[in-house]
Amino acid sequence: MIEFKGASVVAPDTGVTILRPTTLTLAERHISIVGANGGGKSTLVRLINGLIPPTEGSVEVEGLNVAKHGAEVRRRVGFLFTDPSAQLIMPTAVEDVMLSLRRSVKNKDERTRAALAALEEMGLGERADVSVSALSGGQRQLLALAGVLAVTPSVLIADEPTTLLDLRWRAHVGALLRSLPVQLIEVTHDLDSASRAERTIVIDDGGIAFDGDPREAIQHYRDLMFGRAARQAPPE
Amino acid sequence: MISTLGLYRPRDTPLHRAPAWLKVLLLIITTVVVLVTSDTVTSLGIMCAALLLLASTAPPLRVTMWTLVGTALIGLVSSTLFLWRGDYDRALDVTADLLTIVSLALAITTSTSMAEMLDFVAYAARPIRAVLPPETLGLMFALMLRALPEVARIYMESRQAARARGLDKSIRAVVFPTTTRTVGFALQLGQAIHARGIGEEFDASHEARDARDKKRTKKRTQASTRSRKAQQAPSRGTGPEGSEDIETRSSESTGEAMSTEEAFERLIAPRGKNDK
Repeated sequence: MIEFKGASVVAPDTGVTILRPTTLTLAERHISIVGANGGGKSTLVRLINGLIPPTEGSVEVEGLNVAKHGAEVRRRVGFLFTDPSAQLIMPTAVEDVMLSLRRSVKNKDERTRAALAALEEMGLGERADVSVSALSGGQRQLLALAGVLAVTPSVLIADEPTTLLDLRWRAHVGALLRSLPVQLIEVTHDLDSASRAERTIVIDDGGIAFDGDPREAIQHYRDLMFGRAARQAPPE
Repeated sequence: MISTLGLYRPRDTPLHRAPAWLKVLLLIITTVVVLVTSDTVTSLGIMCAALLLLASTAPPLRVTMWTLVGTALIGLVSSTLFLWRGDYDRALDVTADLLTIVSLALAITTSTSMAEMLDFVAYAARPIRAVLPPETLGLMFALMLRALPEVARIYMESRQAARARGLDKSIRAVVFPTTTRTVGFALQLGQAIHARGIGEEFDASHEARDARDKKRTKKRTQASTRSRKAQQAPSRGTGPEGSEDIETRSSESTGEAMSTEEAFERLIAPRGKNDK
């Protein structure tokens, strides 16, 4: 369970509020977060594993304060980024997954076996020794996911994981994410994927605009966006 | 662009089975021997052995051939002075030495995975662990290799974008976006490393040392605070500084031990408005 206790984020240089004080409990297995670009979605989820520390308030994951137990929390919370290229470090697929396992599996042979098994689960078994630069965008995202899941986190945060993928990979990665036995918190612009969650949070202008049933949340989001677009349209 | 990075292919050859330290040691010893030896026949013999060793690892043919031909050309250019003087033996010796070193380096690259090399770098850096944690050095090594093709890709994309805008000859139109995007990539990579918890195991391995340091620092801080309090005792109540301020300052000035994670978080932590 993840708890936000009045957590807020203020930009250090400009003093602009990126996320207003937020109190929230995330306990559902699949939660989607939608909202306009620059609204604060990514900031909200980055607070969960301490990538961004809150300016005020606190965030707790399974009872652990993220600010005090960052390393421990990151062992429980996996993070999947939009662009997998920035997440892959080693030259080949198997080596990249092995890097994730360095902390938990000390024996090299066991580490190799565990990495190969993780790749096999993602359907990348045959691409284990292929250079990461030779993989397609979808395969890279699966590899990044394999690297995250190899350390068996209990929570997975996916920050627009399918934005850079074509329709086929989008469906594949989306279905895979939903089938995982972890708590999934998905930031997305894909309203179809957002609607399949148990709960949807709409973030707008650094705060929670709606929190509840996915269908109602998406309708609220549409009204919010189209209403704003109508207001901002130049007069005829 | 032909790159020798990522040449490694998993195979079952004697060199693949050999540990990384042995291969690096072989490269160092051979380099010293060929540089010291000025006998052409010996140099050619060692070169043939190095080439055979390289062939035994079954390297990718095209990249290997281009690298060796390029090295031979560089060797010939370097030997121009000897050729001009008519010292053909010396020219041959220099070229053979270069080819030997490059062949062995290629053989190591082809037969050693990045993970093995990372372990070796971490192991080799153990004597300087007080200055730099070995695993951090290994990670830096991997990141450097990872960044090279990415920076090359960013440069190519920036050049194409400049061309598309009709700015073929503008250096600024290529250099500025390349620089800003490279910095952006570095920031993203840093965040991803942090998110994956890579590097944090190194902190764990130094936990005991950190705990000792913190204990010592705490003792020093307490001693320092006591002595300052003693010094300022007569003027207490008259000056603007209270004991709380003194304690705060003294703990800052003693430089309390800080883990990598704490240092990173302090670095990226949003500051209050007063800190601007």
